[in-house]
This record gives sequence, structure tokens and C-alpha cells, in this order.
Amino acid sequence: MSKLNSAAELKKFRQDILSGRDPDKPCVTVCLGTGCLACGGEKVYQAFVAEIRKQGLEAKVDIRRTGCHGFCERGPLVVIFPREICYLKVTPADVPELVARTLVENKIVDRLLYTGEDGKKIAHEGDIPFYKHQSRIILGTNRLVDPTRIEDYIALGGYSALAKSLFVMTPVEVLDEVKKSGLRGRGGAGFPTGTKWETTRNAPGEPKYVIVNADEGDPGAYMNRSVLEGNPHSVLEGLIIGAYAIGAHQGFIYVRQEYPLAVANLTVALEQARELGLLGDHILGSEFSFEVAIHRGAGAFVSGESSALMTAIEGRVGEPRLKYIRTAVSGLWEKPTNLNNVETWANVPAIINKGAAWFNGIGTKGSKGTKIFSLVGKVKNTGLVEVPMGMTLKQVIFDIGGGITGDKKFKAVQTGGPSGGCIPAEYLDLPVDFEELDKAGSMMGSGGMIVMDEDTCMVDTARYFVKFLSEESCGKCVPCREGLKQMLLLLENICAGRGREGDIELLEELGEVMTEASLCALGTTAANPLLSTIKYFRNEYEAHIREKRCPAGVCKDLIHYYIAPDKCQACLLCAKSCPTGAISGDKGLVHVIDQAKCTKCGACFEVCPSRFGAVTRISGRPVPAPVAAGTKVQGRK
Amino acid sequence: MPREKSKSKFVGMRLSEDQNQALNRLQKDSKTSKSDVLLRGLELLSEYYSLGLDKPPLNFDLRALESEAIHLAEALKQVQDKKQAVRQMVQELAEVDRILDRYHGQKNALIQVLLDIQAQNRWLPKPALIWVSERLGVPLAQIYHIATFYKAFSLTPQGRHVFHVCLGTACQVRGAKRLLDNVVGVLGIEPGQTDAKQKFTLTTVNCLGCCALGPVMMVDGQYYSKPGIKEIQQIAASCD
Repeated sequence: MSKLNSAAELKKFRQDILSGRDPDKPCVTVCLGTGCLACGGEKVYQAFVAEIRKQGLEAKVDIRRTGCHGFCERGPLVVIFPREICYLKVTPADVPELVARTLVENKIVDRLLYTGEDGKKIAHEGDIPFYKHQSRIILGTNRLVDPTRIEDYIALGGYSALAKSLFVMTPVEVLDEVKKSGLRGRGGAGFPTGTKWETTRNAPGEPKYVIVNADEGDPGAYMNRSVLEGNPHSVLEGLIIGAYAIGAHQGFIYVRQEYPLAVANLTVALEQARELGLLGDHILGSEFSFEVAIHRGAGAFVSGESSALMTAIEGRVGEPRLKYIRTAVSGLWEKPTNLNNVETWANVPAIINKGAAWFNGIGTKGSKGTKIFSLVGKVKNTGLVEVPMGMTLKQVIFDIGGGITGDKKFKAVQTGGPSGGCIPAEYLDLPVDFEELDKAGSMMGSGGMIVMDEDTCMVDTARYFVKFLSEESCGKCVPCREGLKQMLLLLENICAGRGREGDIELLEELGEVMTEASLCALGTTAANPLLSTIKYFRNEYEAHIREKRCPAGVCKDLIHYYIAPDKCQACLLCAKSCPTGAISGDKGLVHVIDQAKCTKCGACFEVCPSRFGAVTRISGRPVPAPVAAGTKVQGRK
Repeated sequence: MPREKSKSKFVGMRLSEDQNQALNRLQKDSKTSKSDVLLRGLELLSEYYSLGLDKPPLNFDLRALESEAIHLAEALKQVQDKKQAVRQMVQELAEVDRILDRYHGQKNALIQVLLDIQAQNRWLPKPALIWVSERLGVPLAQIYHIATFYKAFSLTPQGRHVFHVCLGTACQVRGAKRLLDNVVGVLGIEPGQTDAKQKFTLTTVNCLGCCALGPVMMVDGQYYSKPGIKEIQQIAASCD
């Protein structure tokens, strides 16, 4: 590849790529995002390569490795173009049939298609309900590009927004366009991106820096990973455009080291962009020069906070500082520094190409564009979903997510990660945007959406988040460090049945102080998971404290497993599954749990056939005395 | 010295049965841990190393350590032939040098350097940290600040195969606790521990970033979705 020295050369380069491609030529795309890799996607890819070679179809069929398509629950995913037939849960054994039927005979293999609620098979990817209700501005391109081939991105019009910015627009015009678009930070707080850029641009001091924050630490969120792994150039293009608007010549991409594939794909992307003259000195022959370095994070949740992240890039411990002066004015090495989330940057090329008005037309009054959510937890279709702002929680969870696993009852959805809160069923019609989630006591955060069903204990959930945060608190300020510690102590007591009257009020008071007095956003939002669960599920806290009862049957210290003698069919399943040998019983004899040996792992509860329902969870009342050993089963079912 | 059949490996050195016994005796006498005995000896040896190098000589003060280290180094003589130990350490520190050169000796690359050392050795050996401190001109205390702050770093040797069990929210609501219990049962070590043979280390992580597949476990870079107890046993058995 040789350097491109003008916008025209980029255009020609793109045309050359396109003219060498036949849009009707079949192309097998195999999703090799981390999710599909975990389910054996690589083997499926290799099987396709081998089978296509075996059948001598190399010249007639293209095969592409892509990043995450989003529907991780049903991986490995294979989409065959041009008809966009989507096959789910493909195994290497299925490959010869897919090649023979779909690629050679152009027919569809029904058994690997999506089956709708009504039992109908859906072949076309876009018709699957999971995808149908989404608007995939950012994620949609993942399946069209091989992240290690810049040509794929350029073929889709990649870097044309950069060319437009450099040669058609002035930096101020680019900035105004982003400002007008109403784009807000996708990392959590939702600060207007254009305003942030402007502050850095106008701040005194040179050089200026731009940073991509890919320290995606929120448990339950992985959209940044999928964008970086699947389409790193979209982030890079956005970053270069931003640097041009701001007047920065050095950028950093801060990626957590837990994402090795993202680092690898980014490294390749940077090299290829440099080779083509899209990065480095005199980009596309213009006067603008820009360089980017990758910085791997070393595993600290708090380092995703902007000032902490910048300290980490400086090679010091990533602890936050007080932001009397914003990092936009005094950040990295005390120079003006603009930091945005991966998703924010990835939105920029589309805004420049299609215009602020187009972007402004999507979303709600205060929140524009789309947002990627990681829809996970107890929902049927888990995966990454990208929806316009303002879609209701119900639409996301039930229309796209397909409802709750096992058709249990929906209890709450946790948004915003450890800084967010739990939203109960009453609020299912809440439109999802920055303002509405804030009002409900939660927040947008980076976009984790963890669905919880009736089997989730809200006190335990609060305890989980507080534990996470107390481990991740850097310890610099007292309210966060000590507040979380005391909070955790109280919550652990409640979960263990040692809760006392007044604990709830004490927790609320602690939460208020932390919100008021902590140094950085980790501390000021740390009480959200707790306060929101107290607000919406106070009765659960009271049950734990007053009745020593866990309504969801989760808190181990408050539950016992018991086999109802009248229901036990002596099938031996529970006895076999018990890891501690606490269940005695034989063929024809009622099984009995030895409470002294029981570790309450719940294995027996899960294996007991639902038509028997003999193993029960008891909470808040004493366990009935065990039946005498050798009691016979009453009437077989 | 003809290399005896090695019995165990410790801070980068293979120890024979005799050496191991000597080390144990010494450890008992000085009431310090085995690693401290060896590390202090190695620190003393690093002075020898510095003399034979064209890199800026070490100017840090080892004198304070010396009186203690001298008798420990005496013990080290019994533990291992000095020359060989020096050679080993030269090799190790040369590796550290290669890493440092990759970042052109820039101070702000400290975390990146430590990540690379961690990746190479599966932990951060003390001599390596001293060497980094020396070459980058960063106080050792600051390096320890970083090494203890971030979760990616370990100041004790890690097993050859690290089991990461995800306790992120999405995995949590789908039964990550049970998965962890099962892994604990199969490996026989608790989270944060490494087994005696340094084969396995078990850690919990707050999110592996493939939340749709929870509960998830990662071993040697490979992700496993909802592994059952049999699968965990197979994975453990397939590790050498």
C-alpha cells in the first residue's frame, strides 16, 4: 500500500477496491467477536475455509472474519451475503451442509435459522426481532468489515468523513457540526461532546491532546470492546477528526489489558492507517499531522475516570484528582486534553458524513442519536443492541430481548453499572435517555443493561455492587473509602440475618454523605445501586431485617433447602448432584437433606424436575423435622 | 557445574534437592520467607552484574542490605553456583532491558513496561523492579505503588495456567458463584491462590467483557461459556 496524498486519491483507492468486488458474489462472514470465539467460532471459520477449498469454490466465494455482530447469545453466528442469511449456533459439523446447500444450491438450511415465537423460521438477518427493532449506526458495520483489513472499511466509505473535514471544512466548522448534532458523551455522564471539544480548543496551552477512553470497567458492559475489536477504524477516524477540530497532534487510546484482541486489532489498524497516510505527518497530503499511541490499562476500575486515566498515561498510579479545573483545560501533563468514550468517537464520522441535522433527527429532545446497550442477565436474547435514544425499557427488554428467560417474572433492570441503579417493573415504559434514567434514580452509564428476574435478591445485588466498589475505591478520599466499607458491613449483616432496626436509615444517611462529599464520580455515584434498591424494594430490606427472610431465596444464611416428603419421587437426581453428599435416600425411599452437611449450593433445587417440585427453598420459617429414614415414597406420579 | 536434575523452580532458578534443603535450613535460621532469602542474595549479585555492563552502573545503595545479604549470599553459595546464578540473572535482566528499550526508556511507559514484565514472567520479580527503577530513574517506592495498585500485577509467582472466573454483574445473576465453587473444588485452591507446584492460579475478575455468555471463565486466553464441572475437570486435566 502506498501513501494517499489527497482526497481524490482516497476516492480512487476506494473505487479500485469496489471495482474489484462483485456485490453478488457470495460471501460467508463468520463472527469472531469474543463471544463467538468463546463458543468455538474460530473452528467454524476454519471449517468453512477447508470446505470451500475442498469443493474448489475459492474463486467463487469470499470468506470474511468479522467482529461482533451483537447476537452473542446464539453464537457462533454466520451470515451469508448477498442474501444476508443468518445462521445461528453453527458448529463445524454443520459447515459442509451449509456450503453444499446455501453456497452451491442457493438454498436455505432451515434448522440453523432463527425460530420466532410462533415457530416460524426467519432467514434474513434484518428480520430477526432481535435486529429488527434496532438502529445500528455503529454496530451495523461490524459484520461488513474484517477489522484487520482497512480496505473493507474504506470500501464502505471509511475515512471519507476525514477527507471531508480536512479539505472541505475548517476545524471550527467541524466543531460546530458536532455541537449542532447534540452528541453527548457515551461514557456515562452525557456531557455535550461539542462543548467539551470547544473548551479544549480554546484553552490556553500547547500541545493539546485527545484520548479515547476504552477502559471499559463497568461489569456487564462490553460494547466498547466490540466496537474496538470489530471496527477499530471507525474510532480512529473519529479521533483524527476530533484532533483536527481541536488542534491536537497527539492522541492516546487507553485500552484495558483484559481486551487483548482489541489491542491487537487496534495495533494493526494504526499501522495500516499510517501506511496509507491517514495517520502521521501530512494526513492525506494536508497540513494536518497527527499521531496515536496505545496505552494498556493494568486493571483498575477507577482509572476509567478521566483525571485518573490521564495520570495513568503519565505512568503514575491512576487515581483521580479534584477537578476544580476541568481536564479539558488542564489534563495530561497539565495540558488541555479532550477525552471521549469509544462510542462517542465512533459516532463522529457518521455525523460529519450525514450532517448534524440527520443525527439530530434521531432520539429525544435532550439525547440525540443511538446508544449501544449490552442487554444481559436473565433475558432470552442477550447481546449488544443499538437503539435510538428514547426507546422504552419494555421495547428493549421484551421486543428485542424477547422477555425473561424461563418466562419468569421481570423484577428490575440495572442500568449504568456500579454507578447506576435498579429500575423496577413500574418504570418499564420509561423512555431510555440521559434525563429519564437520571430521574428514575439510575443513569445511562456506559450502557450496561442487566435484567433481573424474580429470583434475584435486591439486597444481595446492592451488596454485590457495594463490595465491587469498595474493592475498587482508590482510597484517596474519606467518604468513599470509609463510607463504602461501612455500607458493605451493614449490607453483609443484613444478608446474613444480623440486620437491625435502623440499618436502612443509616445506609441512606451514609449514601447521602458519600454523594455529597466524595472526590470523584466513583464515590458520588457509589450509593446509587443501594439507594435505588432501598427506594424501590424497601420491603425486601425489611423482610431481611425483621423476618430474617430472603424473599428471592438467594441469601444463603437465610435459606434452607428441604425436600417435601409428599412430593419426592425418589428419582435420585438430587442425591447424585449434591456435591457434599448431604442427601440420603434410595430407590423408592424419600430423600432427606442433612441440614448440617448442606452448603446451600442449590444444585438439588435446580435438578429436581419441575413436575415434581419436591426440593423447596425455605426462608423466614423453621425447617420441618426430617421424615424418618426409610420412609417410602407416597404414590408414584 | 553439571546441572543436577531439577526438583523445583524458584524465582527463576532451578534447585536441586541439596540446594532446596540448604535453603530450607537457612530460611528456618533467618526466620524469613524462602523468596526473601533468594531475593536478597540476588540483589547482592546484581552488583556483580552491574560491573560487567555497558549500561549506566547501578548507583543505588545496596550497603544497607549488605550485612544481611552477605551471610545470605554465603548461603546462596550452597544454594547454587554463584556464576550460574549471575548468568541467570543477567539473562533475566537482559530481558527486562529489551522491554525497556522497546519504550525508549521513557518514564511514562512505566506501567507498560511492568505489564510486559508481568506477561513474560507471570509475576514481577524484585530484581527486575530494581532494574526498572534504575533505568527509568523512578523511585522503587513509586514502582511498588503501581505494582500493588493495579490488579494485573502480582508480586508472587503465578501458576502456569491462570483460571479467571468472572464475577461481573451479568455473570453474577446467572450463577457465577456456583461456577466459582466448582472451580475451587476442581483445582483445590481458593481465589487468589496458586498451588504448590505453580501449575494453577485462580483469580476472580469483575468483568471479562463477554457478558452475554455468562457465567464465563477464561483460561490461558480461551473463554468458556457456562462450563459444567466435567468441562472444568477436562480443562484442568488438559493443562500441562
